[in-house]
Amino acid sequence: MSLVALLDDAGLTGRGGARFPTSIKLKSALETGADLIVNACDGEIGVHKDALVVAEHLDALQHGADLLARRVQWAAHRGSATERRLRNAGLRVLPVPSRYVASEESALVSLLHGGRARPIMRQAPISTGGKDAQGRRLRPTLVLNAETVWRVSQIERHGAAWFRGYGTAEEPGPRLVTMGGNVDRPGVYDSEAGVPMRDLLEAAGAVDVRGVGISGMSGGWLRGRDAWAATWSDAGLAPYGIPTGTGAVHVLGRSACPVDHLAQIATFAAGESAGQCGPCMFGVPAVASQLERLADGVLPAEEMLDLHHRLGMLPGRGACRFPDGVSRFVASGLRTFSAEVDAHLAGECVLMQERAGATR
Amino acid sequence: MRRDKRGEDEVVVDRVACTAHGVCSVVSNGAIELDEFGYPVPSRLTMGRRDARELVAQCPARALLIARDR
Ligand code: SF4
Ligand code: SF4
Repeated sequence: MSLVALLDDAGLTGRGGARFPTSIKLKSALETGADLIVNACDGEIGVHKDALVVAEHLDALQHGADLLARRVQWAAHRGSATERRLRNAGLRVLPVPSRYVASEESALVSLLHGGRARPIMRQAPISTGGKDAQGRRLRPTLVLNAETVWRVSQIERHGAAWFRGYGTAEEPGPRLVTMGGNVDRPGVYDSEAGVPMRDLLEAAGAVDVRGVGISGMSGGWLRGRDAWAATWSDAGLAPYGIPTGTGAVHVLGRSACPVDHLAQIATFAAGESAGQCGPCMFGVPAVASQLERLADGVLPAEEMLDLHHRLGMLPGRGACRFPDGVSRFVASGLRTFSAEVDAHLAGECVLMQERAGATR
Repeated sequence: MRRDKRGEDEVVVDRVACTAHGVCSVVSNGAIELDEFGYPVPSRLTMGRRDARELVAQCPARALLIARDR
């Protein structure tokens, strides 16, 4: 059986967050003789799984890459332990600046061709090649996340049925989950779609859970009580409007102010926008500054309309999906923590009230 | 070239190239609205082929393109 058919049987989808069927990507890559970039950047905040795959499964990972393409480049953040490990193994490393969008698919392709590590505006999928804004010719390039490539090698070794023994029929296969935030045992866990989120939270030693952020800036939020009851899968999280995405789970404890947290992340995001596309370059900082004022309890309630309008203007208006992710992440946070948001609008942070209540 | 029976084309905005000149809004008689920062709101807009060509030619940043089929 061909590798494409095998991956199709297994139902492998990209483990970098986008969940596109790997078999379809590979099929077009084989037709165009595409190069492969193995993306080991862990580009999403709170995700550490690619680092773990490189540290613990490098042989299998290399085997997977060899199955997929003749020419392979290994993308890792410059100066990271992952970069060192890849170099020590004699692999061709593509050092990536540690900026959020630098490890986006088209940014990596641009970097590989001597351009900057910034997303490229395109009308056709970047995997088919083309030209960048400077007229540089881009070879067809297949970009796959490191965990995805590792799964390819596992599927080749153990078969599609083995792979489908994990997860659900719609979201098959084992998956890595990175647990972080207010937990006793942060780290990368072996998991699969369909398990209760309670199992993940308990494994990581979460006790005090005000809310749970899923998939970093490309995901969204759940309230603590919903997180304890939810099922870990795209289907299970669909009612909350968020995907499992990159598989990061960030626990926010009761002593953390969620509004402050949202403002901090949005401010970080404002600095990470690649500064290429106006709606993102100006829209994200505008959102961040309103959130900062909300967190400080000085945003007039009337301005919430502006904030929501600005969030609504972000999606679909950049060369990459970064503004779309930020918009969804912030909107989800405002919805999930509406009680805390209302308290901030009233000039009283819930946490301040709780602390005052505890000492009374 | 994306083109239907009525002879229409789809114009797309190259977000990296666009420098918020706003000419597109004027040339399209406001069909292309601008956001608070001066950037076009829609990312694609369908219009008659001749209008599309005219619009594309007027953008000083060459940020407007006729959509290609995938
Ligand atoms: S949408 Fe934002 S992050 Fe993406 S390329 Fe444009 S400016 Fe950069
Ligand atoms: S005319 Fe061109 S550069 Fe100016 S706003 Fe429209 S698309 Fe952008």
